[in-house]
Amino acid sequence: MDQVVLTNIIYVTIFLIGALLFGFGPIIIVKLLSPSSHTRQTAGRAGQLIECGMEPIGSAWIRFGIIYYLYALIFLAFDVDVLFLFPVAVAYNSPELGLQDFYEILLFVAILSLAIVYAWRKGVFTWEKKTYLHQ
Amino acid sequence: MGEENVPSSIVQFAQLDSLLNLGRANSLWPMTFGLACCAIEMMCTGGSRYDISRFGAEVFRPSPRQSDVMIVAGTINKKLELAVKTLYDQMPEPKWVIAMGNCAISGGPFKVKENYNVVEGADKLFPVDVYIPGCPPRPEALLEGIMTLEEKITGKRRWPRVDPG
Repeated sequence: MDQVVLTNIIYVTIFLIGALLFGFGPIIIVKLLSPSSHTRQTAGRAGQLIECGMEPIGSAWIRFGIIYYLYALIFLAFDVDVLFLFPVAVAYNSPELGLQDFYEILLFVAILSLAIVYAWRKGVFTWEKKTYLHQ
Repeated sequence: MGEENVPSSIVQFAQLDSLLNLGRANSLWPMTFGLACCAIEMMCTGGSRYDISRFGAEVFRPSPRQSDVMIVAGTINKKLELAVKTLYDQMPEPKWVIAMGNCAISGGPFKVKENYNVVEGADKLFPVDVYIPGCPPRPEALLEGIMTLEEKITGKRRWPRVDPG
């Protein structure tokens, strides 16, 4: 084999071994040096998921009203509006901007407004708790 | 408490253990956990005036799974007994307990004949390493308790003992 290729392979191997040691070394060292076999128990609850001492009530897999989430989505529509209108506002006083640019901005805002109109038509803005099955 | 089954590590070297214990003693992480008025003194100890971080114990952890020391600061009611025991269970080894104040030592002012709802001492629930008397103890007393725990872990005292006279 070529001498250069051999040297390269040796380099890669050394680095690979170093990386593996760097990754697995700490885990092995901790396993060997820490008293991690068990932990002293008084109520046998080390495995309890909640870490505040209280017994969890019910499951974590619950259903909750989606109504606030829709508000968050509507915020996105306004957010994008504002985000893209900032550069427009900065450049708007420039003399190169004509009536055509104004119409373009108007079209842009109109398209974005469609999202709000859609949500409005769907009745997102009326705050009422949706009822679901199995509840 | 009966016989204790304290877990130990797989590999044990005396020199290495003393080094590890030095590290543990100088960075005791207490649990953010207060039961009654002693907790106010504990917060004060964490503040800038008494500054518990001078002793490496300022990292109050919000989870028992990250903490080394449980400072039982206050009265343990019967209703809280299970919660406190659960928190103790969830702490990983090595773990230590400081009973701060008279309530955590023996029930304190609640250790009367009529008492029906207070656990008379944290050592009724789990082994306690350091007792700090006082009602409540002053922040200096808590600092002394931390130093005593350091002494217990490493076997030697890091700071000079102050003559009270």
